[in-house]
This record gives sequence, C-alpha cells and structure tokens, in this order.
Amino acid sequence: MRFFDPHIHVTSRTTDDLERMAAAGVRAIIEPAFWVGQPRTTAGAFVDYFASLLGWERFRSAQFGIAHYCAIGLNSKEANNEPLAREVLELLPHFVLKEGVVAVGEIGFDEITAAEERAYVAQVELARDNDMVVMVHSPHRDKKRGIARSLDIARELGLPMAKLVIDHNNEETVKGTLDAGAWAAFTIYPHTKMGSERMVEIVKQFGPERVIVDSSADWGVSDPLAVPRTAKLMLERGLSAAVVASVTWQNALDAYGQSGQIDVEGLLAKPTIDQRQLFADNSVLRGQDPRVEAPVPN
Amino acid sequence: MSAASFLRALLEARLAPTGRAWLDAAVGELAAGVAPVRGSALFSQASRHARRVPLAPTAQQCAEAGRILEGWNPERWNVLEAMRVTLLLARRDLAADSGVQALTELFRYADEGELCALLRSLALLPAPERFVWRAGEGCRSNMRSVFEAAALDTPYPARHFDDLAWRQCAIKCLFVGAPLWRLWALDTRLSDELARMALDLAEERRSAGRPVPPELWLCLGTYGGARGLAALERELASANPNALGRRAAVLALARAAQRERFAALECANEPALRDVLSRVRAGETSAPTFRHLEPA
Repeated sequence: MRFFDPHIHVTSRTTDDLERMAAAGVRAIIEPAFWVGQPRTTAGAFVDYFASLLGWERFRSAQFGIAHYCAIGLNSKEANNEPLAREVLELLPHFVLKEGVVAVGEIGFDEITAAEERAYVAQVELARDNDMVVMVHSPHRDKKRGIARSLDIARELGLPMAKLVIDHNNEETVKGTLDAGAWAAFTIYPHTKMGSERMVEIVKQFGPERVIVDSSADWGVSDPLAVPRTAKLMLERGLSAAVVASVTWQNALDAYGQSGQIDVEGLLAKPTIDQRQLFADNSVLRGQDPRVEAPVPN
Repeated sequence: MSAASFLRALLEARLAPTGRAWLDAAVGELAAGVAPVRGSALFSQASRHARRVPLAPTAQQCAEAGRILEGWNPERWNVLEAMRVTLLLARRDLAADSGVQALTELFRYADEGELCALLRSLALLPAPERFVWRAGEGCRSNMRSVFEAAALDTPYPARHFDDLAWRQCAIKCLFVGAPLWRLWALDTRLSDELARMALDLAEERRSAGRPVPPELWLCLGTYGGARGLAALERELASANPNALGRRAAVLALARAAQRERFAALECANEPALRDVLSRVRAGETSAPTFRHLEPA
C-alpha cells in the first residue's frame, strides 16, 4: 500500500526515519510550519524556518523517494508574542503562495487568547483571499471549545468548509468537526492524542468520509510510521482496503489537492531516487555511495 | 526582613567561602549599577559559583518566606536559583525603565536555568504586573521546569493572571503532571468555567481510555453542578478501591459541600477512605490537603 502522511515535522526527524517511512510505503507528506519547541525571538528565525521547509526539507525527503509538501503559517503559541507575530504575519504572503505550499497552517488556538484569535483571523483571511486550504491545529487544553471557535471563525469569514482541515481530533470532537462539513484529521500519538486502536473504532463508528490519519511526528515522542501502522491494524480489524486507503491516502490527497500543488500523477508513478542530486552544494550523503534509480519499495 | 536578605542568609550555609565572596562582590557591583551586558554575564556566571542542588529550606524558613510575601514558597528552589534571584534583587533600578530593560535582556538570552530563576523572581519584584506577559510565556513553555517556575509556589498567577491565563495555568498543571495543589490560592479563583474545562478534560480522558488526573477534582469546588457530582460518583466507583482518584473525589465532595453524601461515606467507613474522611472532618478541605492524600 502507499500512504500519505499529511502532517509530519520531518525537520526534526533523521534520515533513518525517512528511509523507514519510504520502506513502509509513505509516498508523500505535508510538513506544516509549527513552533520549534521553544519560542523564537526574531522574525528572521521564521524566514529561515519557512525557507527550510520549502528548500532543504523538500530536497532531503526527495532523496528518499518521498514527495514533500508544506503548509506555511504562524502557529498559535507564538501568536502570543504580538510584536513578533505582527512581523511574521506581514511576511507570510512572501511564502504561502510558493510552489508546493498546499495550505496555510498549522494555525489555530493554544490557550484560546485574543492574540491567538487575531493571528488566526488574519491567516484565515489570507487563505480565503488566495483560495487556499487551512490546516488547523486544535489545542491540547479545552480542545472542544478551541475547535468550535476555529470552525465558527472560519465560517464567519467565508472560508468554505471543504477547505478547512481540523487536526488532532478525538472521540469528543469528531462529530462536531464532521457535522460542520470540515475534514477531521487525527494524529496518532503513542500515548496521548489518539492511539491506533482508538482510531480503528472511530473509523468503524463514523466511516471514512472526510477522515484523515496523520502522525504529526516531531521533536517529541512520536512515530513517523504511525500512518502505515494504523493502516495495518485497520486491515487486521476488518476494515476494508478501500476504507483504509481513503483515510490514509485519498482523503488527504483530495483535501490538500485542492491547492493544485500536488502532482497526483507523479505520486502514482513508481518513485525512484537519485541521491547524486545536490541542494545548495549539499548532499544528504556522508561518504556513502549514492543510490541512483533505486526503486522505492512502495 | 526583605526577600534579598532572607535569600542571602539562606545561601550563607549553602555556598563555599569562594562562592559567598563572589556573590557579595557581584551584589555590590550590581547595586552600584552596571552595563546590561555585565549584568547578563554575572547572571550566567553564577553557575560557576553555585550548583543546581536543592536549596532545601526548613519548614520554618518556608514559613518565613510566606511572611515576606504571601504565597511564596521556596521549598523546591535550588541553590543556583536563590543566588540568581539574589543578584537580580541587588539592582537598585528595578522599578525604573533601566531595570525593565535589564530584565528584558536577561529573558532574551536566558538558558533554561536562568529562565527558571527569572520566573521565580517575578513575584518578588516591584510592580510585578509589568511582567505578566513574561509569566504567561513561562506557562506556555513545553519545558516542565520552566512551566513550574512560572506557575507554582508563587503568588504570581493568582495575583496577576487574567481569568483566561489563570484557567490555562491550572488545566496545564493537569496536562503536564505538575502538582496543581501547589498553584497558590487555587481555591480563591475557582469558577464555573474552570470546572467546565476540568469536566471536559475528564470526559476526554475517559473516552480515550486514559486515566483522569486525580487533582482534576480540585478544580470543581462548588462549581461542578450535577455534571460534576456524576463525574465524582463515577470516580468513586473506580475498580481499584485504593486509587488516589477516589480519595481525591471524597475531598472534592467535601469541597462541594455535599454533606449528605459525605455522611453516607462516613457510615460506610471504608478503610481506603478513612484518612481522607478524617482530614475532612478536621476541616482540611483546601487544595493543599491533596498533598497528604498522595501515596506515602
């Protein structure tokens, strides 16, 4: 099977992870801009970060046969540093329309503050005016209310619900998200957000329509193979191959493909890799022989 | 006694003679006024003269701290933090713009240990409300040490946070496993909204098949309503009779003034609940009572 992990922060992952992901069938990924574990202090740090998502990280993934797309946005936590947030919001138009940017994201709420709301509104407007998809991070604390607020604001601002992906749903929020008409994404974390077993039950209960599975693997304890692992469990638990393909491949493609930035035919073709390629004179290799034309096992 | 002289006295027995000499010289230099970069250097350099070992104040010393500033408890400070806060308090310009600028510089370049010391110092500074955004940033940190330095054993959140930041601070304790009972004056700022958030969290955890943090029940007070009582009954019906959550639920029922329910529990006289029942009978129902419910 082939998989699309539409939420993973590969900038924090090693080449071992990329190799394992490709071997497990992960063919395409989306890396949304988020915070880096601690607050940045200058707008320049954001410029370099966004540029790395569009540049080095895309190249690095390609070296392992994985198509890398990204979402650009100001995350909710750092929206609370308002002077810095204003600067970052001003420079977003330089990045969100670049090739391969499939959404504005991940944006939304953390503490559900007024500053977070201002940043969210500005970015939903930016997405709406440019006909873009929005990837929403839902908060850890007070999740249900955070999601309701994210949905309400997007609706009030006139963003079509088909362009809205609400991420990190759980049993308590899935119904509200789906009833609103948005896409409901689920992050499979080993211990907290959602486990594979729970995900199986949710798909059994709510069906595959507009449901998306992702890993959100980052710098914390997380699993870059969460999507293929969950797919395997779903099949073992009797969900059909068609249902599993919907939630681990096609739905993400349909949601983010609205950006027009995803080369669907390219993804369907058999991927090959050429590690002789360089990026700004850099290689991901450290003395190994480059793998050339090596088929990726998916 | 001032906070600065209290901390200096605590450090007397906990520093080597060279460390004491360095501290006194640095305090003199800061009191006389220094360029910002020198202030930052001294703040960092403190790590060469004091270790990150527990300050370990006695119970009397903790009580003394509470008299200097209500809600301040240095029980979990380390020696290096005490030294750094002593350095901060040596400045004569803390109430002036230059003092704010100096602190801004320190925050900007702070490492984890420095950040904890800065956050611990906030309640001890003149006009502490000037630093409410900094304290909020501390609470947004993913580093538990930083979060706890901002949130716990200090009167800062209760005195200066708006309702939203206050509730986030309380609920985040439950998320990161920080001891909520150490959030000073929790009981003075309970509310319908905090109870609702806590009950939503309990439902979320139960839906996920994950345990509910026992301290969550401290958030209800008298605001849990019928939904809160139902959630507490469910906790009491837990499969494990010795679960800490059950004892916390008994405490929460007392805090919710459910006298009849409490009387029924007294009649049942379950061994696992005897200790909490007797504490409540003795009038111990404030949030810090939770400390004594913890497994020995």
